[in-house]
Parts: sequence; structure tokens; C-alpha cells
Amino acid sequence: MTGRLETISVTRSYGTRVIVENVTLSLAPGEITALLGGSGAGKSTLLRLLAGLEPVDAGEVRLGSRILSAPGRTLPPEQRRIGLIFQDFALFPHLTAARNVAFGLKHLPRDQAAATVDRWIGLLGLAGRAGAYPHELSGGEQQRVAIARALAPEPAAILMDEPFSGLDPALSGSVREAALAAVRAAGIPALMVTHDPAEALESADQIAILSGGRLLQSGTAENVYLRPASLAAARALGAVNVFPRAVLPASWHAAAPQPGGFVGFRPEGVRLDPASKTRFVVRSRRLMGPLVRLTLDGHGLQLNALAPPSSAPMQGAEVGVSLDPALTFTFASDET
Amino acid sequence: MELKAPALYAPALRQIPVLIAGLVIALPVAIVLVTGLAEGGGAAWAHIRDTLLARYLSGTLAVLALTAILCLLMAVPAAWLVTMFRFPGRGVFEWLLVLPLAAPGYVLAYAWSDLAGVAGPLQSGLRAATGWSAREYWFPDISSLPGLSFVLACSLYPYVYLTARAAFIAQSVCTMEAARSLGAGAGRTFWSVALPAARPAIAAGLALALMEAAADYGAAEFLGVPTLTFGIVRAWKSFGDPAAAARLAFVLLALILTFVIVERWSRGRAGTQQSSIRWRQIPRAVLSGPAALGATALCTSLFAAAFALPVGRLVWRSLESGARSTRIWDALGNSILLAGAGAALAFILALIIALSIRARGPLATFARIAASSGYAIPGAVLALGALAVIGSLPVTLSGITALAALAWVYAVRFTAAGTEPMAAALARAPVSIGQAAQSLGASPLRRTFAVDLPVAMSGAAAAALVLFVEALKELPATLMLRPFNWDTLSVRAYAYASDERLAAAALPALLITLAGLLPVILLSWQISRARPGGAE
Repeated sequence: MTGRLETISVTRSYGTRVIVENVTLSLAPGEITALLGGSGAGKSTLLRLLAGLEPVDAGEVRLGSRILSAPGRTLPPEQRRIGLIFQDFALFPHLTAARNVAFGLKHLPRDQAAATVDRWIGLLGLAGRAGAYPHELSGGEQQRVAIARALAPEPAAILMDEPFSGLDPALSGSVREAALAAVRAAGIPALMVTHDPAEALESADQIAILSGGRLLQSGTAENVYLRPASLAAARALGAVNVFPRAVLPASWHAAAPQPGGFVGFRPEGVRLDPASKTRFVVRSRRLMGPLVRLTLDGHGLQLNALAPPSSAPMQGAEVGVSLDPALTFTFASDET
Repeated sequence: MELKAPALYAPALRQIPVLIAGLVIALPVAIVLVTGLAEGGGAAWAHIRDTLLARYLSGTLAVLALTAILCLLMAVPAAWLVTMFRFPGRGVFEWLLVLPLAAPGYVLAYAWSDLAGVAGPLQSGLRAATGWSAREYWFPDISSLPGLSFVLACSLYPYVYLTARAAFIAQSVCTMEAARSLGAGAGRTFWSVALPAARPAIAAGLALALMEAAADYGAAEFLGVPTLTFGIVRAWKSFGDPAAAARLAFVLLALILTFVIVERWSRGRAGTQQSSIRWRQIPRAVLSGPAALGATALCTSLFAAAFALPVGRLVWRSLESGARSTRIWDALGNSILLAGAGAALAFILALIIALSIRARGPLATFARIAASSGYAIPGAVLALGALAVIGSLPVTLSGITALAALAWVYAVRFTAAGTEPMAAALARAPVSIGQAAQSLGASPLRRTFAVDLPVAMSGAAAAALVLFVEALKELPATLMLRPFNWDTLSVRAYAYASDERLAAAALPALLITLAGLLPVILLSWQISRARPGGAE
């Protein structure tokens, strides 16, 4: 059991450009935290600060009670015992799968290292592929070798940089489940950088949203999705309809009772409610897969809604609409 | 519109130029092999086999082994330093360290033997500083086997430096970061991750360097080290027995073939293709204090030994003696004429082969293999082949015939150096542009001239320059085939140096080196720009 891996007010700049600004984040052992953000949000840099691949300009990185990074002081990555998994897997091309896994086990006696390699190879379903070189492995197999390699030395924490985005979409679902199960079983703090909100919501215990180098919000998936701290945080996890409170139909005010100049609601929070007297016209209707996306016009507003195909009205139909309070949020401003 | 049956004869017709190109290149090699087997068994061969062969073979093997070690020691640490670290002068050294490629081995041999001789500035300086007399100290002798290896390594290490540097730049930064996260320090990361991944590239560069070293005649002859190439020229010159020389060439070719096979085999099954799809700028670690000083000192002394000192000495000697001899300027004209003719022929052959590669087919493969084997075969051996061909024809080796034979040998030797950049230029252009031309109604002939040729030409300027300079530097074949009393710069430098007139040899040697600098500068400029992740 290791302690928490934490950043405390860390800042990192390249020249005058601030990449990570005053980020405080705590990763609990046995939990997977998704670090979510668009490109340029500073996700990878924050990961590199945690790994010791870059120094911090301000703040601290800690593992348990131990300080790993502070301004002017960086424990080198090879002394941190923090595993890394890269988007491109970064397997050593000249070593077999088994020897890749063995790379971090140099401190163990030979037989013990061999046993550890066997165990991890078996655990990740790679038995029979141990002697293969990386270019002879499929994408999913390379991914599992990378995970086995990172976990075999029993690291104190593990950091994953877009670990599943290099995989065939058809493959990534099943690979992700197996991979994250192994990570969770290790009982150590785990960070997964991703730009995909669906992946973050589906896989992570905790979600941290990064934008412009700053941490917008962190918390459990449900908490962050259902109680976004700002419009930017809400948008990071999915689409939102947002309007000034004053322009909304009066019947909807009850759904967003908290004070605040702006009201946002997710498309799936738009309820098609025959009893509602607030009527909208279906402007367009498009099947998106399991759900239909509707564009609704009325009361001087245009909004997006999602409905199951069986109950979605046809284009041109008039429907009554109400809001689901659980998916309706109030914001002080509409800046993102 | 009338439908025509596909012209079945046309593809076969279009194969004719590449067939001719392949034959032109393959002929001298084939002739040498046949001559050596069929006629090489005379008295001269018996003498060479019984008294000299062991010396030649062991000499060549020892020179190659030592040259290989020196090349690796010079090239790999320097390549690693300039790729992975920041230290004073790094940006300059990155391309400066390629320059020694410009000076052929025999030029460095003349310059170094002048520098390090008893009367040279190094020993004079030592005596002046210590008050010793010439007998009271030991000083390394350049005219020795280690001396030859040193000189060859100085001129050939850039092959290894270039390929090692390219491999270090191209490897995934993530791979090295992964190694560090698994507890490997900087040293283990280098030895067990970066170096093994770069090993095939280093081996390829070393194979090239060693082929050149095996082909060297001028430096070995001048420094008095018996090697196979030295022996081949000697068998032809002293024994007057080209067939015996051809049989000796067999041994050399077998040796070179072994290198090629060993190099292929050493790649094994292990992958070297980086799986990395993400390019990140290499985060160069900043060196400071003694480490920075050491890095700068290492690169400085490498550059000094391989280029600044010897070439500086040539400049000094040339200025000292002045350009009094008009023979040098005649030789310059002859060199330009001959290298121009050789380069032009090689250029045409290279173009034909490069254009045929896209069409594939066995003939294109044959021509390309012939070209790359020609590149691996020492000029002295090719000259034997040309001599044998001329000997079977009703002509004598003089005047225009001799010049044509030389241009032919240059072309055989260097066509591969021109094929590769042109083939690369063609490979960069998508296949679809040719198909687009055809869909717009262009005939295959028009497609070749209006589309493929201009594309290949973008790689052609560099190719032409390389061909010209390589031909200018060539020594042994030029010595063997040139018309009587018709000197080139390389022959002039060789003749003066053989007469112990190093001051007179300095100017032609310097002119060769200056010409050699042009493509080298172009090359290093291109390389510093062309690689992802390598830019500052």
C-alpha cells in the first residue's frame, strides 16, 4: 500500500507561456483518476511533472509524505518508482515481450524476475506471445505488454498518457476493461490522461478537468457530470444548452432554483412531456445511433434534445417540453 | 472512338534502357570474376599466394578491425552528445563533425604524415618545449598499420556519425522516458535502450565505412601498409599480371561480401522500427561544469584530428609553397573534365535505374543490385575489369579510349550514389500523380518526361554533385587507366607525395578537399532540416 500521489499548487511555464498553473490534485491509492481536457490543456505536462520528466517552477509533487519535486529540486524519474504508459506504448523494439516486461526488474534475483515476468505475462493473457518482438504483436497485445512492463516492478503509482487512443476503436473497449482491471488491482494511485469524456466517465473513479493549464473541477464521475462547477466544466463532459435565465419560459424556472444569471441543461435533460404547456416545434430529427437528436424551436429559443427512437416525434410536430432538474445547472456566467 | 488492343511490345521495349544500364554496370565486375577464375593461375599468382597473400589478408583484416573500433569510438559518443545534450558549441559541432567526409583517406595520410613526422610541427614543438633530441622520446608513427587505421577512421567516421545521429534522433523519446520510469539511469538507458535500437543503423554506417577502407589504395601505399587493394594494384603494376590481380581481387570481394552478409544477419529478428507515432522535440539535457567542458573538448579534439589540423596543414603548406607549378592547373582542368564525364554517365545510368524502379520487374531489380554492388567494389578491381574488356577489343589503352574507360569505371563505382537520392525523390511523390497524368490522357512516354523526370530531378542536383566529387576523389582506378602523362588532381597529389614532395602535394590535395566540401555541406544542411523531432 502506498500513499497518495499529489500535486500541491504546481506551476510549469515554458518561457512566458504558462502550461500548468497552480494545480492541486490528489490521487488516491486503488483509484483511477481521469485527467480530462482538450489539446493544449496541459494534461501531458501535468503527467510529466508527476513523473519527474520535467521540473516544477512552483509548488510540490508528493508521494505520501515524501517530496518528489519542488522548485530547483527534482527526484529523477528512475528513482521515483512511478510507472508510465504511453499512447504509442514505447516498447523497446529490440527486446521480446518478456524482456520488455523484465526491464524494470533488474533489482530482483534472476529466477524471481523470471517468475514475476511469467506471472504478469499470464495475468494479461500474453502467454504464448512472450517470445515475440513488439513489431510482431498486435496493437492490443502491445498495449498489454506496456501495462505488464509498467506494473511488474510494483510501482508506487502509475501514469497513463492517452493509453487507449492508439488502438483500433473496435478493440479499445475490451482492451481497456482488462487493462484497467489490472491497474485497479495493483492498489496504487493511477492517473489516465484522456481527451475523450466518454472514456473518462466510463473508466475512472475520479475525474479532473483541466483547461488552459488550470484545474476546473475534480471529483467522482457522477459528481462532476451532475454538479459541474462552471459551464466550462459542464461542457468538458458533454453538450449543454445554455441561456440567460431571463429568456427562459417561466414554467422552467422551478427546475433551476439556485440564483445565477445563466441556466444550462444537458440534451438528455430535455423531457418530451405531453402534459407541459411549454410547446416547441421539432425543427430537425436525426438518428445518432441509440438515440435521436432533436432540434427544437420555440419561445425564441433553439435547443438540442435527445430521445429514444421509439418516442421521438417527427419533424414538424409540436411537443410539450419540460426540464429534468437533475440535469439542469445554474451558472454565474456563460464564459467557458 | 476506336478501341485499340493494348500494345504488348511496349513494356518490353521500355525495359531496354534499364537492361543496358544494368549490363554496363555489371560488366567489369563479371569480367574480373571470370578472368580471375579462368586465367589468374599463372606464376605471378603462385608467387603472390605463397609469399604475399597471408600478409595482404592479415594486413587488410587488421586495418579494418582497428578502423572499425576507431570509427565507433569517434562517431557514436559524439553523435550521442550532439543529439541528446546541450553544451557550448553543440549546434556547430552537429554539422562540423560531418566535414571530414570531404577529405579522402590518402589526403589525410599525406597531411598527417607531414604533421607528425620527425620534422613536422608536432615533433618540433615537442622538442622545443622539452629540449629533448629526436632520439630521446617515442612518438606515434603514422607510417604504420595503426597510423593507417587512424587516418582512414578520421576520413570515414562520418558515415557512422551520420547514421548513428539519425538513429538517435529518430528513436522514440517515449521509449527512453519509459526506460527511466522503470528505474534505468542515463547510462543504462543509453546502453540497453538507445544503443541497441540504433545498432542496425550504426552497423550500416560502419559497413559503408569499411567498404571504403577496404577500397583504399592511396593511404595504404603511402604509409607502406600491405593490404589487399595495395596488393591488387601491385600485382598489376609490378608483376604485369592483371589476371593474377583479378584473382587477388576475388579474396577482397569475398571479404566485402562477408561484411554485407554479417551486417544483414546482425539485424536478426529484433525490430528496430520505432513503434512511436508521436514526435516530440528531443528534450536535450543541459550539461554544465566539467560535463559540458568534457563534451566540448571531445568534439573539438575529434574535429581537430580529423579535419582542422590536417586541412589547416595543407592550407599552410600550399600558401608556403605557392601555386607555382602550372601542372596543378592542368591537372585541375583534367580532373574537372574527367569527373564531369564520369558523373554525366553515372547520372544517366542512375536516372534510368531510378525511373525503372517504379515499374518494378526483374530487370530493374537486376540493375539496382548491379549498381549497389558496383558501389561496394574497389576502384582498383573495376579498373582491372575495364582493362580486361579493352584488352579483348582491337583498341589500345590511350587517349580517348582510356578516358572513356575511366568515365565508365567512375560510373560503375558511383551510380548507386546517384540512384538513391533520385529514387527517394520519386518515392516521396505519390503513385497517384502518374495515374493522374494518365487519366488526363498522357501517353507513357509523355508521363515519363512530363511527370516522373521533373520529380526525379528534385533529387538530382544533390546526386550530380555527389557523383562529380566522388569521381574527382577517386585514385586507384585513375592511376591504372589514365592516358600516359595525363594527370588529374588526385594523381598529381599521389605522385608528389610518393616523391616525398609533400609541400607540392598539398595544393592538389587541398583542392580535392575543397571540392569535397560542397556536397558534404549540402548533405549536412539537408539532414539538419529533414527529420521530425530533430529541429531546434
